[in-house]
Amino acid sequence: MPDLLVSARGVVHAYGDRRAVSHVDLDVAVGERVAIAGPNGAGKSTLLRMVATLLRPRAGSLTVLGEEVPKGARRARMGIGYLAHDPLAYLDLTPRQNLQLYADLYGVPDAAARIDDLLDRVDLIARAEDPVRVLSRGMSQRLALARMLLHRPQLLLLDEPHASLDASGTALLDAELGAARADGRGAVIVTHEVERIAQVADRLVVMRAGRVVADEPVAGRGPAEIRARYEQAIA
Amino acid sequence: MSTATNNPRWTRQLGGLVRKDLRLELRTKETVVAMVLFAVITLTIMQFGFGTRDDDLTRFTGGLMWVTLAFTAVLGVGRSYVAEREQRVLDGLLVSPIPRVVLLAAKAIAIVIYMAIVEVVVIPLVGIFFVKGAYWDSIGWIALVALLANVCIALSGTLFSGLALFTRARDLILPVLFLPALVPVVIAGAGATHAVVAGANDMADYRGYCLFLVGYAILFFLVCVATYDAVFDD
Repeated sequence: MPDLLVSARGVVHAYGDRRAVSHVDLDVAVGERVAIAGPNGAGKSTLLRMVATLLRPRAGSLTVLGEEVPKGARRARMGIGYLAHDPLAYLDLTPRQNLQLYADLYGVPDAAARIDDLLDRVDLIARAEDPVRVLSRGMSQRLALARMLLHRPQLLLLDEPHASLDASGTALLDAELGAARADGRGAVIVTHEVERIAQVADRLVVMRAGRVVADEPVAGRGPAEIRARYEQAIA
Repeated sequence: MSTATNNPRWTRQLGGLVRKDLRLELRTKETVVAMVLFAVITLTIMQFGFGTRDDDLTRFTGGLMWVTLAFTAVLGVGRSYVAEREQRVLDGLLVSPIPRVVLLAAKAIAIVIYMAIVEVVVIPLVGIFFVKGAYWDSIGWIALVALLANVCIALSGTLFSGLALFTRARDLILPVLFLPALVPVVIAGAGATHAVVAGANDMADYRGYCLFLVGYAILFFLVCVATYDAVFDD
């Protein structure tokens, strides 16, 4: 396994003439959880989508799980778990059918047992045969959590993960992020919930107008101190 | 900790994607039902528009059938990525380690199946509406050319629907791109059908059109393999 799960050097991405991410450096070490915060339009989600191999860097170099992106993107994708705003699930399929599809795409061995285990963990086993369309938003996000964890990814990429999770989903996610650190996985968490960062991350990266304006550890800092540092960075 | 996956087999990925498309269609019944109805209505309008019961439209059979199938194909191909787009699932597929050409192949297989279902209705209906003389004896040959044409329609249609997917005016762009690409398929399909209906049995002509369709399918397959990564990757 590489020492750095993510290594970005001077990456740039633009939508038309507008630069969303401008010459950003980002490292994520094995077992490290990095929170990216910033105001709307700061480029956080674009940076996350580049790391997820969904967007190509227009300039700079990006290595994910030891694979240079975009050249080695397909190999990198095997180890990426991505949680987006949307559940990325087909609404007319059931949770079990959705997870079976992703198990096929990722080549998950012994898929039926793994799916049962995950549905149980996210408390959806009783709704496993209902179409996703009839599930609540919180349940859909818990399904998304199960989808993200299905192939036991080395690198978790989460875009506003707490936004629509209910209490049990949040607890499960926080536990998973804690476990990620313990067993040598890594995580990049884009969040607006600055107060929660001390709980779920080891490092805070603050972005503003497509650039990194602060990058520092959060160990030993309380929510209020992190909030103050964040406000200072984006001022 | 290592991932559970180890270079997943493309056959499993393809099977999963095709199964998903068929499950969605079985549950919603949106695409195939609309395609069949559209084809039946079009043929009915042509039946009324082109003459009365006494007119012999046999020599137009191939053209009427393949024009109908071409427009029906536009309808089906246009819905190829509707679930992914409207339910915002595409990122989930694209972040998985799936070769983009497998994504294309899965959509193409689904379109071949949908078109085959439409043809099960259209081919007999064309015989009832337009042909005077022997038709049912040549239905196997027509089915064979339809199968070949379906592969052509599916490959070109999936390529163009993938291209149109990321444009704002996709509903307008798809027919504009796709219909001209279908002209050779319509010519070959109509020619091959004409060669075997009403006892014509011009097998040399029929074989020539079929070979043309095979060539068309190979050409579009190569174009898809060469370009599909670029279509989907950013």
